Amino acid sequence: MFQRFAIIVLLLALAGVAPVSAAFAGDDAIVVIAAYTPTDSVDQPVVVAASAPQDDFAAGFDDDPAPGDASEVLIADPLEPLNRGVFWVNDKLYFYLFKPVARGYRAVLPHPVRVSVGNVFSNLGAPVRIGNSLLQFKIEDLGAEVYRFFINTTFGVGGLFDPAAKFGGVKPRQEDFGQTLGYYHLDHGCYLVLPIVGPSSLRDATGSFVDSFADPLRYTNLETEEYFAIKMVDMTNRLSLDRDTYEGIVRDSLDPYLFIRAAYAQRRQAQVGKTYNMNLLEGPLFDGDRLDPFNLFGQN
Amino acid sequence: MKRIILLLSLIVLVLSTVCHALPEPQAKVEEMVNSVLSVMRDSQMTLDQKKSQISGRVQQFLNIDSMSRRTLGQYWDGASVEQREHFARLFIKILEATYLNRIEDYSDGDVKYQKQRVKDDKAIIDTVIVANELEIPVQYLMIYTDGSLQVFDLVIEGVSLVRNYRSSYGEIIRRDGYDGLFALMEEKVRDMSEPASGSSVQ
Repeated sequence: MFQRFAIIVLLLALAGVAPVSAAFAGDDAIVVIAAYTPTDSVDQPVVVAASAPQDDFAAGFDDDPAPGDASEVLIADPLEPLNRGVFWVNDKLYFYLFKPVARGYRAVLPHPVRVSVGNVFSNLGAPVRIGNSLLQFKIEDLGAEVYRFFINTTFGVGGLFDPAAKFGGVKPRQEDFGQTLGYYHLDHGCYLVLPIVGPSSLRDATGSFVDSFADPLRYTNLETEEYFAIKMVDMTNRLSLDRDTYEGIVRDSLDPYLFIRAAYAQRRQAQVGKTYNMNLLEGPLFDGDRLDPFNLFGQN
Repeated sequence: MKRIILLLSLIVLVLSTVCHALPEPQAKVEEMVNSVLSVMRDSQMTLDQKKSQISGRVQQFLNIDSMSRRTLGQYWDGASVEQREHFARLFIKILEATYLNRIEDYSDGDVKYQKQRVKDDKAIIDTVIVANELEIPVQYLMIYTDGSLQVFDLVIEGVSLVRNYRSSYGEIIRRDGYDGLFALMEEKVRDMSEPASGSSVQ
């Protein structure tokens, strides 16, 4: 009896925490609802962008190629012959080693278990995301990640479950040191295809190396082999949850190498998003008005 | 508590406006997605039947002309009329096959419509596909031509499909010329139309 009561109280507490954290973490739902203002006139399109900034809209169309424009290069790739070599090896590794292993792994472990394993690894990545949100002064992301880390480590039993998202509605953010460097206007340098890891760049590979110092597993008494074994479990688990993304790309694109390179460049660009404002005289510093203490706990 | 009330009242507000006619661009996307999903979820049809049904339905919602123009980018201007037509013919087949292969993966998912923005003759519709703990943001970019709104690009998790195609196709044209590109595309169309043999089962 008491147990059931305790669980209900716990759930209520979580649900109560959620909206508060939502204000702090900028929960998407609120933003979305505020931005969604349907109009009654059906005849002609009118501007409906309510709270969405106008430049965001224009950015959606900024890919219109200007006539006579230089050919579109999304990321420099001077090492293409080498990269293609590594890509070829990775492709074979994928189809003949990693994917079959992941398929066996999927056959043995049921879906919820694999999701939980993924949650644990994701939770272990919290220090990286927290650190990088801080480095970019992304207060919303920082709040979300700190909240997620504490809730999921405690109520989520060491990260096995994700009550922060399930009950709190706070989704994980994507932050890494490569993004932080991008935020401060550092470019990719050049495209790299890393063995096993796959698409990366000079900047992002450096970022991953720096991030590895914030990996809690690094500070345990694990042998090097054990460390890599755990990393392989992480990768296998992730592959087992994947819906044949790579197979789809190979099947659909004329040249999978080119397609993945372009997708990687675009994806990273979208993740870096808004960059640090270098011009002090123009507009707010860092992540905009989010540093405004009066605005921290209540948007609008 | 205050925030909960605010949230609830906002939800009520939104729900009450939904009763009115939806704005056109989003309604258009919903129409397309729903017509595809209704076919996908029909348990009576075989996969091939579904595919042929869907390809007919989707084409009217896509602006193939605008898509091919954008995909070739600067190489559109340099192409002859025959080359443009040849390209459009192959491109639509590739697009269709890609779309059909993808929709198969997400047919059990739910599509949430988040917001739409309209400016002049263009519109962006933000949606999220929710399938198995996964949330994939998908944006539909639409253009108003000849009295109808049509999709000309899909942006999935920040990756624009057309931009991706442009980048790869441009590289192939630079390397092998138009004929090289067409040869590759024809080969791909042949491969894709064959029954899936190598693809694994979930």
